Amino acid sequence: MTFITNLINGVSLGSIYAVIALGYTMVYGIAKMLNFAHGDVIMVGAYIVFALTSYAGVNPYLALVISMAACTLLGMAIERFAYKPLRGASPLAVLITAIGVSYFLQNMALLIFGSQAKSFTSIVNLPALTLAGGKITISAETIVTIIVSLIIMVSLTLFVNKTKPGRAMLAVSEDKGAAQLMGVNVNATISLTFAIGSGLAAVAGVLLCSAYPTLSSQTGAMPGIKAFVAAVLGGIGSIPGAVIGGVLIGVIEILSRSYISSQMADAIVFAVLIIVLLVKPTGILGKKYIEKV
Amino acid sequence: MASTKSKLIKKSTRSDLITYAMVLVAFAVVEILKSTGNITSLLRGLLVPLCMYSILAVSLNLVVGYLGELSLGHAGFMCVGAYASSIFSVVTQNTLTSAWIRFPLAILVGGLCAAIFGVLIGIPVLRLKGDYLAIVTLAFGEIIKNILGTIYVGYDSHGIHASFTSQSSLNLEADGTVLINGPLGITGTPNDSTFVIGIVLLLITLFVILNFIHSRAGRAVMSLRDNRIAAESVGISVTKYKLIAFSLSAFFAGIAGVLYSHNLNVLAATSKNFGYNMSIMILVFVVLGGIGNIRGSIIAACVLTALPEVLRGLRDYRMLIYAIVLIVMMIMTSSPKAIAFWETHSIKKLFKKKNGKTEKEAQ
Amino acid sequence: MKMSLKKVLAAVLALTFLAACFTACGSKGTGSSSSDGKTLKIGSSGPLTGDAAAYGIAVKNGIQLAVDEINAAGGVNGMKLEFQMEDDEADAEKSVNAYNTLKDNGMQVFIGTVTTGACLSVISQTKADNMFQITPSASAAKVIANDNCFQVCFTDPNQGTASADYIASKGLATKVAVIYNSSDAYSSGIYDNFKAEAAVKGLDLVDSEAFTSDSKQDFSSQLSKIKALGAELIFLPIYYQEASLILSQAKNAGITAKFFGCDGLDGLLNIENFDKSLAENVMLLTPFAANATDETTKKFVAAYNAKFDPSTLNQFAADAYDAVYIVKAAAEKAGVTGDMSVSAICDALKGAMTEITVDGVTGSGMTWKATGEVNKEPKAVKIENGEYQPMD
Repeated sequence: MTFITNLINGVSLGSIYAVIALGYTMVYGIAKMLNFAHGDVIMVGAYIVFALTSYAGVNPYLALVISMAACTLLGMAIERFAYKPLRGASPLAVLITAIGVSYFLQNMALLIFGSQAKSFTSIVNLPALTLAGGKITISAETIVTIIVSLIIMVSLTLFVNKTKPGRAMLAVSEDKGAAQLMGVNVNATISLTFAIGSGLAAVAGVLLCSAYPTLSSQTGAMPGIKAFVAAVLGGIGSIPGAVIGGVLIGVIEILSRSYISSQMADAIVFAVLIIVLLVKPTGILGKKYIEKV
Repeated sequence: MASTKSKLIKKSTRSDLITYAMVLVAFAVVEILKSTGNITSLLRGLLVPLCMYSILAVSLNLVVGYLGELSLGHAGFMCVGAYASSIFSVVTQNTLTSAWIRFPLAILVGGLCAAIFGVLIGIPVLRLKGDYLAIVTLAFGEIIKNILGTIYVGYDSHGIHASFTSQSSLNLEADGTVLINGPLGITGTPNDSTFVIGIVLLLITLFVILNFIHSRAGRAVMSLRDNRIAAESVGISVTKYKLIAFSLSAFFAGIAGVLYSHNLNVLAATSKNFGYNMSIMILVFVVLGGIGNIRGSIIAACVLTALPEVLRGLRDYRMLIYAIVLIVMMIMTSSPKAIAFWETHSIKKLFKKKNGKTEKEAQ
Repeated sequence: MKMSLKKVLAAVLALTFLAACFTACGSKGTGSSSSDGKTLKIGSSGPLTGDAAAYGIAVKNGIQLAVDEINAAGGVNGMKLEFQMEDDEADAEKSVNAYNTLKDNGMQVFIGTVTTGACLSVISQTKADNMFQITPSASAAKVIANDNCFQVCFTDPNQGTASADYIASKGLATKVAVIYNSSDAYSSGIYDNFKAEAAVKGLDLVDSEAFTSDSKQDFSSQLSKIKALGAELIFLPIYYQEASLILSQAKNAGITAKFFGCDGLDGLLNIENFDKSLAENVMLLTPFAANATDETTKKFVAAYNAKFDPSTLNQFAADAYDAVYIVKAAAEKAGVTGDMSVSAICDALKGAMTEITVDGVTGSGMTWKATGEVNKEPKAVKIENGEYQPMD
């Protein structure tokens, strides 16, 4: 029974990683950059919802929509001012800039909202589900998280494969130059990717803080890294890969904490990543790249 | 004068000599300031860390700039070097009372242990490429930090005991000594690191790495970076040369770790000092100083280490300004537009109209 | 070599920058010895940014409040207090930099550091300088290894043992579980001593669950294990931020066990937007209770809330506030004046510390041993209706 509870908790944690990893993976696929600031956009999204609901008394769902819009704008602004000037520069320069942006967002939040962690009121207002005569308790947040993650994954896949801007994204991720020649507006497509990724980050932030109701300027940092690991594990650039990677990381983390060692859970997660990458060097669903001379 | 010299000495050698000279001049300036008593406590305390970060940046530049691989686990090697040398120093403190014998041995122990880890990690990791390699090195670094940050190790007459839960579960005899005390880490490491030793180690690092780069092996490593398949086809062993460069880099990261652990009283593996944040910080030095530019690495390491300290006057806005400075510096140095700007506005052109002589000197 | 404008600019920037480092600090550094005797400079360092910023900022506020009060009331021996706080990011290396900066600015008494790891790396410096040091909140036993360093808070061993004693003597439970932060010196220090004392007192420690600073959000696996083992009481030797998560996840997991914590849990009720019903019946041993009715505490809490964000009020602020009054008491006892050298001040204060008795907000009748350890009684409180209620 404990095993089933653990499994469900793992899937729930993993679903949050998955939503964050989707943002990483999309941006990587299009812009070929590791957006280390993504985890901090999550934190910003959660803070916006927190501020709106606690200080302005806005309905939580409306607050979520506003927060998504704000994060979308934030993502586009970051892309415009910090990353776009570096397009064509070494990928490492972009990586370092992303880290700068990450420090910037964290310290900005620290200045605005203070150092004290805030308690986040879950936007899911449903009772927990009890099964097997009270032996298994599943919180409503867990169920909502899993469902929302699934919806996001399916709609994102449909968007990328069935719509025109989505296919433009695919084209840009395959070959930026060729896409441009075929009339795809590369700048707009990259901007759109950041917009979607950051909008999703707001959702991820709210899910994360609903399940683990504490909010500080560091909230996004560690989940961000774990989600990054998940995206790489699943094969960075692949949408289903990000989801599979996220769920796997969540389940492995929870199970190793319960059955192996609670101190070593993070080490085990990283060890699994290493083993998978050694067997499949581009992740579970990653594309094999062919080297040209 | 400058033009005749350049005919006699190879361009790369001259560049190397400038690097050595820069370090020696910095050393001389600091020593003069020290002897005249014009040095602040802050700067005095920063001297060893500045050497340490310079060594880290130079050694990482070997992997990033010359091997062409992105490593995000450099702090892990530093951690191994720090712990290995600290344990060595603590254990031998009573038998080897002279720091002149003990500390060089500790440096070797730290460096070699880190190099061994470099080989062990390098063998599987260097089969990967690009961002996948980066994330696996990050993972190794985090594992090392995670294990050393929670392990308890002690020894007594029955041998060595280790535990992951608590000090009491080591079950040491009464005569036992706790070596690594979990999150409290190792205390009582002798404070052997000095500025002189730091500078000597930095010079040794520079000497070894610069000579490696200009050697046959170094050229092989660079050929792998530029075109692996072409290099392979002329018979260069990929694994061998990659591994040599990677473990050499790890060796010096380990030495930097020795400086770190023998500079502070307490050694504990936290995400601040040995986590991925530190690895990324070292990478920032390398990228900002110029990938493949050894001298730039040292300058960037010193400037960026001192920057947060200089910004202390800004109080609460300190780290925010630091972040902005980082972003602006990156855009100023790396964006294609900025590079084009710098190239068209060389100092030569600025002075050309005014004075013919300046041109020659600038060259 | 092509001398590009970029290189020249970079070199000029680097040089001006280093020059700024030399001169800016240098000019201040000379001021240290020429104190006019009218001021006593107090310095402190703690994390003001990053993960642990909440603790550093509480300490900063606490010291500031006490300094302002003392100055308004005429100062210490006719001297005004001057206070400077530097950020050490709770890091061993940065704390040395912070300490050196304070020293350059003429600090005479050091109230710090806030966190244990940072403190352990500074103590050899304060010892070498013979700088008087009193830490509000670094609680490891090794912090006070040198004779110039004193603590305001309890040491970790002390808390672990006291908690086990209290649980056993009140018969709160027999089957006990622990959740602790194995990567944190404070938490694992208390755990270790709790475990030893629990065995002595016959408590049945059914499960010890750890977490690390890198994974302090999800506690579901630890809680489900504890639930399955049927622990009656869960001991939480951790800080309130993680505790608030554990409490909410324990509720979701349907756990009905009692919770018991140490002084790290204080601050739980001040978390903004925290659902206080989650903390109902939580017990803790704390030297400081914000709703205590004695005059000192009432005055402190009212003044603090008027001046600073009330959500930052916790035992760190209280310990820091007390630290300043302790320094004041010792300075008055020893007749310290601002024109004395740092070392002379230290020797004078050191001697006075064992003779003074201070009534502060974290305990009345506090006295110190020459080892630096404080002698005060922890209060056991229980949270009822969102307020601390004293237990006996």
